[in-house]
Amino acid sequence: MMPLSMVKIGEPNVICKIGGKEETRRFLENLGFVPGGTVMVVSEIGGNMIVNVKDSRVAIGKDMANKIMVR
Amino acid sequence: MIKIALAGNPNCGKTTLFNALTGSNQFVGNWPGVTVEKKEGKLKGHKDAVIMDLPGIYSLSPYTLEEVVARNYLINEKPDVILNIIDGTNIERNLYLSTQLMELGIPVIIAVNMMDIVKKSGDQIYIDRLSEKLGCEVVEISALKGEGIKEAADRAVWLAQQNKKTPAVHHFQSEVETILNRIEDKLGSQIPNEQKRFFAIKLLEKDDKIVTLMNVVPNVEDEIKEIEDMMDDDTESIITNERYLYISSIIDECCKKNSKGKLTVSDRIDHVVTNRFLALPIFALVMILVYVVSVTTVGGWATDWANDGVFGDGWHLFSIGTTDYENAVEEYDRAEQILVAFDEGEDVAQIMDEEENVTETVTLNDSVVSKANEIAEAGEPDPSEFGVWVPGIPGILESGLDALNCADWLKGLILDGIVAGVGAVLGFVPQMLVLFLFLAFLEACGYMARVAFIMDRIFRKFGLSGKSFIPMLIGTGCGVPGIMASRTIENDRDRKMTIMTTTFIPCSAKLPIIALISGALFHGAWWVAPSAYFVGIAAIICSGIMLKKTKMFAGDPAPFVMELPAYHMPTVSNVLRSMWERGWSFIKKAGTIILLSTIFVWFTSYFGWIDGQFRMLDAMELDHSILASIGNAIAWIFTPLGWGDWKSAVAAITGLVAKENVVGTFGILFGFSEVAENGTEIWTMLAASMTAAAAYSFLVFNLLCAPCFAAMGAIKREMNNAKWFWFAVGYQTVLAYAVALCVYQFATFFTTGAFGIGTMIALVITAGFLFLLCRPYKESQRLNVSSVMSSK
Repeated sequence: MMPLSMVKIGEPNVICKIGGKEETRRFLENLGFVPGGTVMVVSEIGGNMIVNVKDSRVAIGKDMANKIMVR
Repeated sequence: MIKIALAGNPNCGKTTLFNALTGSNQFVGNWPGVTVEKKEGKLKGHKDAVIMDLPGIYSLSPYTLEEVVARNYLINEKPDVILNIIDGTNIERNLYLSTQLMELGIPVIIAVNMMDIVKKSGDQIYIDRLSEKLGCEVVEISALKGEGIKEAADRAVWLAQQNKKTPAVHHFQSEVETILNRIEDKLGSQIPNEQKRFFAIKLLEKDDKIVTLMNVVPNVEDEIKEIEDMMDDDTESIITNERYLYISSIIDECCKKNSKGKLTVSDRIDHVVTNRFLALPIFALVMILVYVVSVTTVGGWATDWANDGVFGDGWHLFSIGTTDYENAVEEYDRAEQILVAFDEGEDVAQIMDEEENVTETVTLNDSVVSKANEIAEAGEPDPSEFGVWVPGIPGILESGLDALNCADWLKGLILDGIVAGVGAVLGFVPQMLVLFLFLAFLEACGYMARVAFIMDRIFRKFGLSGKSFIPMLIGTGCGVPGIMASRTIENDRDRKMTIMTTTFIPCSAKLPIIALISGALFHGAWWVAPSAYFVGIAAIICSGIMLKKTKMFAGDPAPFVMELPAYHMPTVSNVLRSMWERGWSFIKKAGTIILLSTIFVWFTSYFGWIDGQFRMLDAMELDHSILASIGNAIAWIFTPLGWGDWKSAVAAITGLVAKENVVGTFGILFGFSEVAENGTEIWTMLAASMTAAAAYSFLVFNLLCAPCFAAMGAIKREMNNAKWFWFAVGYQTVLAYAVALCVYQFATFFTTGAFGIGTMIALVITAGFLFLLCRPYKESQRLNVSSVMSSK
């Protein structure tokens, strides 16, 4: 298990757990970040990332990427 | 009347569909009490049907304003049918909202959008099976290409006419269903049967905002505890998971994906455009292009046309004949100058152009003089002989008013007051439209969302979001569209902060002030203009840091999470519509707030007491005007800033109407009826009336203080709240005052060594300023602790 921020570009990963504040976690869930789902990093600048989740692209900040645990 | 609610995720093509369904038959407003845009329109081809465009949402949870607005509308207004538009390229995530919409007991019709892209990528969506599994009507459309739209609308109207109550078909695990049934029973008769499921789920999710919609709230704590213990999770996550589970269970039967694992075009563009190394250079290139085209080349040309043509003397239709006319005018001027020189008995004539530079030296002889005589006798060239001459509005109005034998004061009010004032503002419209055209395109094609992503890291450091960059860039041209561009920032705090700081950047109307001060007091030193931009940027950064530490902007910084739309080519009509919507809102404002303020300023500057008699004044008698009295009354306020004379005070006041006015006002006050844009004529007089320190303080004050009326109107509109408007304008003015005071006092101290009470005050202000800048973020400490804990 590791944070999404450490994942290599272009590799699909499975979400294990999402941390952080409840409100943000809900928002991420609504956007399709649910445990068991697949994410793929499309690009990364200074820790901020664009990830592909459930066929949509979502940009997330470094701190959020640190709280999404994948395997 | 049939009410159709249009609902869907952000970026799924909802606006495009809405525009296609309603055409120009739209009404745009705000939802009561909030700054969420509300759009309503009549359905084309169905006179008795209206469409309500709900805000783009991901779910019906209570976490964002948009979601609350949308679900309150759906529950309270009970539209006859919900037209749920979903993005076919991203169907799983989009169906998440659909499952929630179907629980409301309102008939739902799903329009699967972007079918053209789905088919192109080799994927397949089986509409019939989807319809069967979801228990509602499903149609295929392509909003961008206009395919299937009419059928979708007809189907929605037909569905509404059936007037059937449709219960949701999808179901969760049996444990969850049992609990939900028990809550539904507890709801009793206060909730209509078809809405029971929605309320039951919301109660189970501990949604506190749902309570306000109910008379009696049943106690469901036992049920919540039971299911949470059973599934070892909180109820909200349970329901979210159940929804996604249900969707995954049906999706394989309904869709066939051939493109799985392949990179989409959009992802490949993102590899380049948001690349670690290329992102910033590409972004800089795009911004420079937008800036150059909309502020200098096309925009500048358009503004000149509007200011000198429409609101000036007039213009040649399609510019045909303009060059010939200008040549003829030049030749006429030359002939006149030759004749003057000849009359004065000179041997040579020095021909000068408008700026009084010698362009040519002509030796006078008989043939030259007789030719000049000929040209002069033909009279001044008439512009209408060189092409189709369209006279400017002031000219038309003046001749019209003359024909009506209109009173002088009314003529003055209309021409010098209203037309000059409103015209100066409307003159910016063409330039703004060019800028809005670019913005609309960048927004619609999907690049704007990436800009926020690219700039976020930098702007976050001083409390602003990545999206704040765009308003500020536009603000270098004009603050009004700059402030309006802040609309794209969803986060309320970030948006308010951006609105408050955007006008610190020197706009094009402030450039003449810079030129005046730099020319008059600093002999045109090279550093004055760049320093003005530096002051503006420093004000933004410091304000960002200071305000984030106040109670109003405090709190955990909103984490950066946003969906990026797929890149696509927008339709011309959508881009033009978006451009026009913004432009029109500006024009409307020019017609109201700016109109009133120009009338007020005109009245106070052209009327006053002379020898105990109240009457209208000549332009030369401005120092007797009401405005001058006001200036005298308030001049003391500016004494600590070094320019406590009434002329500077009045100039600063007229600067509030429009910053362009400052130089002109100085000109009039120093006895010139008209001055050049940089005020060359009054440089020596201004230099004599104030010190260099005072002049720079005047410059700083005018750069930072409350912007012009037009921009203040924009602030009021975008804040949508009187308290916030006054706070913004007050903050800007206080900051401007404090900074200008420090500039004057310190500059005086260092140049003359005079240490007085003013220097003391400046020191106190500086200390307070440093305290506000450096005091710790209280909230952020708490956040750090919690984030450390959660990552363990």
